[in-house]
Amino acid sequence: MSNNLKNSTADNYFSLLGLALSFDVDKTLLNHNYHEIQKSIHPDKFANASDLERRLSVQKAAQINDALETLKNPLRRSIYLLSLYDVELSDNDTSIDPAFLMEQMELRENLSEVDSKDDPLGELDDILDDVNSRIKQAITLLADLFEKLLSDQEPTADHKEESEGHLLKEAKALTLKMQFLNRLQEECLNKEEDLADQF
Amino acid sequence: MALLQISEPGQTTAPHQHKLAVGIDLGTTNSLVASLKSGLAETIADENGRHLLPSVVQFQGKNDQGYQTDVGHHAQQNASRDPMNTIVSVKRYMGRGLEDIKKHSIYEFVTDEASVVPRIRTIAGDVSAVEVSAEILKTLKQRSEDALGGDLTGAVITVPAYFDDAQRQATKDAAKLAGLKVLRLINEPTAAAVAYGLDTGSEGIHVIYDLGGGTFDISILKLTKGVFEVLSTAGDSALGGDDLDHLLTDWIMDQAAINEPAPGLLRRILDAARQAKEDLSQYQTSMLDIDLGDDKSWTMELSRQQFEKMIKPLIRKTLVPCRRALRDAGIESDDIQDVVMVGGSTRVPLVRQMVGEFFAIEPLVEIDPDKVVAIGAARQADVLVGNKSDEDMLLLDVTPLSLGLETMGGLAEKVIHRNTTIPVARAQEFTTFKDGQTAMAIHVVQGERELISDCRSLARFELRGIPPMVAGAARIRVTFQIDADGLLSVAASEETSGVQSSIQVKPSYGLTDTEIETMLKDSFSYAQDDIDARKLREEQVEASRVVEALNAALIEDGEKLLSFEQRTEIRQAIDELVEIAQQSNQRAIKLKIEAVDKITAEFAQRRMDASINKALAGQSVDDIE
Repeated sequence: MSNNLKNSTADNYFSLLGLALSFDVDKTLLNHNYHEIQKSIHPDKFANASDLERRLSVQKAAQINDALETLKNPLRRSIYLLSLYDVELSDNDTSIDPAFLMEQMELRENLSEVDSKDDPLGELDDILDDVNSRIKQAITLLADLFEKLLSDQEPTADHKEESEGHLLKEAKALTLKMQFLNRLQEECLNKEEDLADQF
Repeated sequence: MALLQISEPGQTTAPHQHKLAVGIDLGTTNSLVASLKSGLAETIADENGRHLLPSVVQFQGKNDQGYQTDVGHHAQQNASRDPMNTIVSVKRYMGRGLEDIKKHSIYEFVTDEASVVPRIRTIAGDVSAVEVSAEILKTLKQRSEDALGGDLTGAVITVPAYFDDAQRQATKDAAKLAGLKVLRLINEPTAAAVAYGLDTGSEGIHVIYDLGGGTFDISILKLTKGVFEVLSTAGDSALGGDDLDHLLTDWIMDQAAINEPAPGLLRRILDAARQAKEDLSQYQTSMLDIDLGDDKSWTMELSRQQFEKMIKPLIRKTLVPCRRALRDAGIESDDIQDVVMVGGSTRVPLVRQMVGEFFAIEPLVEIDPDKVVAIGAARQADVLVGNKSDEDMLLLDVTPLSLGLETMGGLAEKVIHRNTTIPVARAQEFTTFKDGQTAMAIHVVQGERELISDCRSLARFELRGIPPMVAGAARIRVTFQIDADGLLSVAASEETSGVQSSIQVKPSYGLTDTEIETMLKDSFSYAQDDIDARKLREEQVEASRVVEALNAALIEDGEKLLSFEQRTEIRQAIDELVEIAQQSNQRAIKLKIEAVDKITAEFAQRRMDASINKALAGQSVDDIE
């Protein structure tokens, strides 16, 4: 079913770090492989080498670092997997579900009202808990979607909704949602820092 | 200058020859140098057995051999007698503009249109912070070469983790002026972690709290089987023990009703303040006694309690970055195995107490907080130079500040986020705004804020040679790279035509290449030394490096990765390079190296990929604990 997947065998970040193509990532294996690779190509191992080798090692190490960052972070991982299917995310995407737009506005409003509450830090904690659990939920759903996408089974005629196009559309919508939630989480943490500094 | 030890061209150096490398802690208040001695890193003492070198330079004059200076203890003693020519805490001025450094400074700064770098007016002429630092580095270089009995192959120099690009570049420039080959700039807290981690061998998460004379860093590291991975770093590159002294100085002037003291008196008050601060780390009270001149003096007793009340807000200020570092690392206080105290200012009991309370753990102070950074740097220097003492050790550090570009409306758009592991490269595409536009300006800043005016300007890059096209048609791909020293470089090309655009860099706070070149020519190290001869020797060293590396590569992977014809081609190129390197035409050697690079680039690339595959080979989940 992954016939539309580009670079399915070639050098994508997963194979670069010795992992199977999947949304679920074995963090221990990822870190272990990352360390082993860096031990062999990091610029520190080429401090005495020729200029050419030094330059190459900086480039390679930078690429490996980028691969690690991409695979470590669920949002970046999802964006990356989608890009392998030629699906790009843009900021002014019109495909966003209206219900989610409402939800966004509500969450944002809660955050902007924190200052006027009796216990702003406590209030902020509640919002943060809510955002975190939504992110967790999105991660679970994405893992499920990508598992279906990356499995080699053809969908049966009864499961039209599991066609690649449909799954990709859903994955994209969820990724956009996660992008928003991540930003909101960042804003909450910034706010928390500001509030904490006032005490 | 220290040259690499070079063998006759064509011959390879003995494989296990021990190379001399040192670690240098170029501190605000004191500097140190350390090296490895039979597997143990130790700081090197001067001829009087003193390890710390006060980072103080007294300028006495200038002759055709460069500046005449006194560096260290003697200069420190002269500071109050000759305050305007005796530069202390020069690290605070590195990579900084005039507006940043005027405060609390007794020196007369001058600027002119020819340079963005402020100079300090002294009896020996106007000197930049880079030149002052170079004098300190020269002294340490001389000390190590005397002690180790030979020329240094290179040095690892430490910088505060929170140093920005301009401050790092200034440090590297100072080393260049001092004739030191910089193997790597490493972050002070990371160096401290190496010193601690290798001694205790403890795996897990370590926090390094480093409060020095003029800078504050907090770094959170994870240690796994010799790999020191920095998870996050934060700090303040203008906060340190000096600021405690300044608080106390202001208080003394207030109590003694001294207004606008002469530079000599101000230096004496500052010295008294520093002495009192040090005393109060051991005793409950300290007696302040200040010579006001004309046989008059002022005395007063100061208690530790009074002092702590004064400095508490400043110490609290260091906890803000601590909180941010924890958050960026994505860890909780419970995950922390230990908190290591580094830097002379962590001797202040209130610092230890407040940090202990914040992390809910008793901080470690086993290794001398003054020496620990130099010791870690020496270990890394030994690894980098190839002495293979800790072969499996690897430092993975991060960039402390986000890198951004100026966009419409004076906003900063982040290209590389803070706490990204280095080296890192990010490409960004730009297009033209007008028809036929052939040049473009890019303004690069460092910092976390949204407005350009709240960030620190790094440099302005001017791209030239864009092929004329209609507005919006050109695709200019600009690659920003931060290398393992934490230094930025920029490259650009036009994508539709493949034209390599030229980049002109205007550093916002640094010396230009031409200025450095002029300083090199003027400086003592090269006075009797012909610049061309030096360039030739350096090129020959590079040639021998290329030859050695290629010979080793051919033996190791030649058969596996290359055809017979390819091997023959490379061997022939090596022979030609060896031949040319024996002659004295620097330009010809340079061109030949470039030619060799061209035909061996593919081989080098394949070797790099092969070593990645080798690193991954035979790995299964079972192998991993």
